[in-house]
Amino acid sequence: MHVCSIIPPHLLVTIAESRDPRHAAAADSARHALVQLPPLIAGRSLALAAPVRQGAVVLSQLERRVSDAGGKEELPGALVRGEGEPPTGDTSANEAYDGLGATYSLFSDVYGRSSIDGAGMPLDATVQFGERYDNAFWDGERMVFGDGDGEIFGRFTASLTVISHELTHGFTQYSTNLRYQGQSGALNESLSDVFGVLVEQRELGQDAAEASWLVGEGIFAAGVQGSALRSLRAPGTAYDDDVLGKDPQPASMADYVETSSDNGGVHINSGIPNHAFYLVAAELGGPAWERAGRIWFDTATGGAVPADCTFAQFAQATRAAAGTRFGEDSEEAGAVDAAWRTVGVEG
Amino acid sequence: MKIEISRSGGFAGLTRTWSVEVSSTEAEERWVPLVEEAAHRGEGSGNQPANAGTPDTQRDRFVYRIVIGYHEAVLPESRLGEPWRELLDRAKAEGAGSAAPAGTGQDGPTAP
Repeated sequence: MHVCSIIPPHLLVTIAESRDPRHAAAADSARHALVQLPPLIAGRSLALAAPVRQGAVVLSQLERRVSDAGGKEELPGALVRGEGEPPTGDTSANEAYDGLGATYSLFSDVYGRSSIDGAGMPLDATVQFGERYDNAFWDGERMVFGDGDGEIFGRFTASLTVISHELTHGFTQYSTNLRYQGQSGALNESLSDVFGVLVEQRELGQDAAEASWLVGEGIFAAGVQGSALRSLRAPGTAYDDDVLGKDPQPASMADYVETSSDNGGVHINSGIPNHAFYLVAAELGGPAWERAGRIWFDTATGGAVPADCTFAQFAQATRAAAGTRFGEDSEEAGAVDAAWRTVGVEG
Repeated sequence: MKIEISRSGGFAGLTRTWSVEVSSTEAEERWVPLVEEAAHRGEGSGNQPANAGTPDTQRDRFVYRIVIGYHEAVLPESRLGEPWRELLDRAKAEGAGSAAPAGTGQDGPTAP
């Protein structure tokens, strides 16, 4: 809030709405500042009751609602924790609440987006879904988490990356809405893994070299041979277990998996764009959410990614976004080019 | 007669396969017509993408493939209604399912 105390809100709105690329950084800062404004100009309860729309800028506040399905496969379940309420006695509910906050914070504080839809949408989650339910999913409106069967999986909220992955499906729904099949589906999955790990890295204060780059670390039950479900640094190495088999993710187009299972292998071939992102972040160094993450965010929200996007089209879009944001001959644009070449995608 | 159920997708992207033995009479009178009905209702067959019928905004949900002899149907989790849940529970109870990441074996239900 200290950021914006000098500049009057109407001026922030004008700057934030600027489409002039020369003012892109200022516009982002202004949008960021505007997101922080409601406590000053309207008061928390008023802002919660009615987000203020001003042109393209929406002022909003974080609003989380965590419900408990009580072991049934029915949604939404009973509300157990609303925004600002104290922790409940349930670990999953508290993990979901905190994970929603961390994800909201990345999109809002770093990229200036007001919630996942850009318009202050409340964040809904349901925990304790189903009996021994081995999954977490996004149903189009809310995140849903199972407790796991206790043999292969424990509770799915145990990893922040699972929560941020699911919430990012909401972000993708309201930005590119990538079709959930084949390459576009794998890109949809990859965006969730990318922003999923970035949320965790930012919470832990880890730079690209320190981070684990793992998705779903800690959700396997004891006894499963594996550290996580997926690795962006080294796709194909997250687990190797007698019962589950080996992590099938490819790291390059040469190993692309053609299958009709899993919506055309959306959770498998996501390894390729996942690894491209990792390579960009590793090359640039420092906090991955700042430059690499910014390029991917700009790509997803820039309008150049069609719903049926291929890997090659996506590579082109990231290259264009890097050029626009950092310059055509920038280190960042060079890192993006090199990354896609390494994973065998012709942009 | 053996009925195979394989489940792919989900957040983990793991494919698990279960099977259940039923009498020929039960298979032909109860399950084959249901599989055929599901396949013909556009909810998927071997010739269609495995997500046929998956609601447009759902992500990370399971996809089920049910095979009885030459009959096959593909159902998104959200359409796995009561008769199928009964069948799945019986298959799970009958024996430990095998698990394998999708796409690593043959493209379809794996033999136990």
